[in-house]
Amino acid sequence: MARITEDYSNAPQPQGKKRGLGGNASWILIVSVTLFVIALPTMILLLFGMLPSMVALIIDRSKGKSAASTVSAVNFIGVFPYIMDLWKGGNNIDQALGMLDIFTMLIMYSAAAMGWLLFMSAPPVISSFVMVLQQRKIANLRKQQKSLIEEWGPDVAALTEGFNEEGGKAPHDLQGNAEPQISEPTAPQ
Amino acid sequence: MAETAEAQNGATETAKPQISGDGQAIADNSKAATSAESTAPAPGKDKPTPAASGGQFAPIILKKRYQINPGKPLPEFDGPSAKAFEASDQRDPSRPLYALVCTPALPPRMTIMAELKNLTIHGLISLVEYGEAQWEPLGQHVMLAVFERPLGGRLIDAFPAGSVKVSEYELSRRVIEPISQALIRLRDLNIPHRAIRVENLYFLDADHEDLVLGECVTTPCGYDQPTIYEPVERGLAMNSGRGTGNILDDLYALGVMSTILLLGRNPVEKLSDDALNAKKMELGTYQALCSEERIPMALIEPLRGLLSDKADERWDTGALEAWINGQKKTPMQRRPPQKPKEPYLFSGKKLFSIRTIAQAFSNNIHEAAKEIKNEKLAHWLKQSMMLPLVAEEISKISAAATASQGTPDGSEEVMVAKAVMRLDPEGPIRYKGFSFLPDGFAVALAAEYTIKNSYQMPAEILERDLVGYWFSCQGSYNDFMAYEKTFSTLRSFFKINEMGYGIERCMYELNPSLPCQSEFLRKEYVTHAEDIMVALDEVANTADKKSRPMDKHIAAFIATHFKYDIAPHLKALSNPQPETSLIGLLSLYALMQWRLKTPAVYGLSRWLGGLLSPAIGSYHSRSTRRSIENEIPALVRQGSLPELFDLIDNAQRRSQDGADFEDAQAEFAMAETEILKIAGDDIDQTDAAMKAGERATAVTAVVFSMVAVSTLLIINTI
Repeated sequence: MARITEDYSNAPQPQGKKRGLGGNASWILIVSVTLFVIALPTMILLLFGMLPSMVALIIDRSKGKSAASTVSAVNFIGVFPYIMDLWKGGNNIDQALGMLDIFTMLIMYSAAAMGWLLFMSAPPVISSFVMVLQQRKIANLRKQQKSLIEEWGPDVAALTEGFNEEGGKAPHDLQGNAEPQISEPTAPQ
Repeated sequence: MAETAEAQNGATETAKPQISGDGQAIADNSKAATSAESTAPAPGKDKPTPAASGGQFAPIILKKRYQINPGKPLPEFDGPSAKAFEASDQRDPSRPLYALVCTPALPPRMTIMAELKNLTIHGLISLVEYGEAQWEPLGQHVMLAVFERPLGGRLIDAFPAGSVKVSEYELSRRVIEPISQALIRLRDLNIPHRAIRVENLYFLDADHEDLVLGECVTTPCGYDQPTIYEPVERGLAMNSGRGTGNILDDLYALGVMSTILLLGRNPVEKLSDDALNAKKMELGTYQALCSEERIPMALIEPLRGLLSDKADERWDTGALEAWINGQKKTPMQRRPPQKPKEPYLFSGKKLFSIRTIAQAFSNNIHEAAKEIKNEKLAHWLKQSMMLPLVAEEISKISAAATASQGTPDGSEEVMVAKAVMRLDPEGPIRYKGFSFLPDGFAVALAAEYTIKNSYQMPAEILERDLVGYWFSCQGSYNDFMAYEKTFSTLRSFFKINEMGYGIERCMYELNPSLPCQSEFLRKEYVTHAEDIMVALDEVANTADKKSRPMDKHIAAFIATHFKYDIAPHLKALSNPQPETSLIGLLSLYALMQWRLKTPAVYGLSRWLGGLLSPAIGSYHSRSTRRSIENEIPALVRQGSLPELFDLIDNAQRRSQDGADFEDAQAEFAMAETEILKIAGDDIDQTDAAMKAGERATAVTAVVFSMVAVSTLLIINTI
């Protein structure tokens, strides 16, 4: 978690992104208010049960919000059975408030903790697999390039070198066809 | 190599004055310069080598009919630049013939040969056959000309004790009459003889009755003529630059020859060429030759007419014919050359005419330049010759040279050359000792290369446009329009620094009969485009296979003689990239073989096939290259260059190769992009993998959550 915070806390936020977040926040506010009006008991249960997810959302400054997503998903598994109970019962504010005892909260927050544990333990394992797959892909691509060079010579890489050196269009492209003008003499019929 | 010594031997012989019966020299037949030029060594080889003995060589057959025996020379028929050998007609062995071997370095008069072959002209020796053949004594191909053998031999050899003096009565009947008939016929054919001299007169019959002119085809016009036989303007030029001339030049030579025969000696044999020219210019030719001699009254007028220094006043064939028929012509009033009030002093000599000044200037450029710049000449022209316009032109030339100082156009040599042209507009162009008339530039250029292995002077003359300046000095400009157009074209060729152009192109354009001077083909005597591939095929066995069968001479020769558009081929040939140049070379020869229907050229094909690596390398695909390399040997064995070219530069194959190469480049670039996405310099692979893991975890958790919620919903619903 510290790594995520350090990595992205100082990252400059693009102006467009800020405007996007503001827009999203407005929509979230509107939807939340609406849900609070039409489903207040459920929203009370979610508000208290998903508190760890909200914290995760706040502290996760990464672009994809992977930590928040993981914690929220597992946290919701811990909250959802109580929502089902609420919906099967009176589905009123009293019942919702009555369900928020220490035991329920422990289960809900334990689920969130499981989410954090999952997020901290699974990515290193998965990244190892990803690394292996990427190395294999690079090896295949290099092999493909080698066979192209064997067939077409080093010039086949001229375009790529141009991109690397110039960071844009290669000189080859700018000059047109750089091949020798060998078709100039009229061929005997 | 052998030829040079042989020719030099001949030159040494002819350099001796021909002694007449009274012990006096008739003519200095071959001055030193002529001898040197007529030796015609291979370019760059000044020293002659011993000639191979002709006795050890078998006779050769020309045109499957005329047998020429190198082992049987006929020195009595030698020309200054052509050696004579015994010849016979295999169909008519009794027919008396002799053959002349042309000097390979000099362009013979091929077009004239074609016109004169088997043409019987009274008063002219008959040309029976001509053609090129391998001449073993020289170890190379040469041009051979077979003539009817004059049974009475040479005129000067026929007289006992060398007495060649001819009386005034016999001169008209036995010399002037038959020769004038020959000249009239040649005039009708528009062929100037340009080799009329005492040494070139023969008796066709053993009784010494039928006098004929000798041959005029083995050397360029006027090349072998001693200076005395040339009109002043041509005599001032070097032998190779005397020009084609016309019938009037022949009539002048006839006048000189008649004078010498009449007097029985050369009246000016003690004079050097320069002194003779100076005397002619200051006194006029007739006065120079005859002023101290007794000329019969009946011959004074024809000799005056024939020896007139002004071409428009010189007797033509009509006037000569009328005189022979006994008609008297009103003597022309001849004005003596304009005399100056006081002579012009130059280099310690007193000069009495602007033409002699011009010649003296051309011989001493540094001093001449001083006198042009200090206005001494212009002042003299105004004060002593009353020629203010010429003086003004000289001043302009001086001013222009001063303005261009430091550049080639402002050099003393150019300034003096221009001043000389202004002083003597009828005279030759004289530049650094290279003197020629515009119609003699062709031979002068060829001789300069073949004898001295240098283009320096002709190239500088073209570069400075001195010929254009000469035209501007002429009074009647229209007479020279054709020449000016020719030189304009030459200059355009000269300025293009590519294969097939340059000074070599100028040389072959001007000298269509000059054999190709390429190092590869020098011994082959190639004079037609049709022969060049066959000749290259023959030399392929001995040539260095690492060198290309192409050089500037071959390219220029082909561009001149091959009458199809080969501009793209020449451009490709000149390309600095070896593969393009090679393909240009192959395509050119392939086109020639195809157009000229040349049979299989196995040697050339093998030679070219061995050079094609860079051209094959122009294909990108290695498998295509291997395929072509594997196919080459089979095509080389067929000797077909068009097929070889089609293999090397097949349009479809090349287009496919280009397209496939572009695809391969794109594929390579895409692979590189993929790799960079994964492991670029700015990417932390571990971090990226960790992020991927985090994303995967989040997705898994969300999916698991959704599955769990769905399951709960289903269970509770049921």
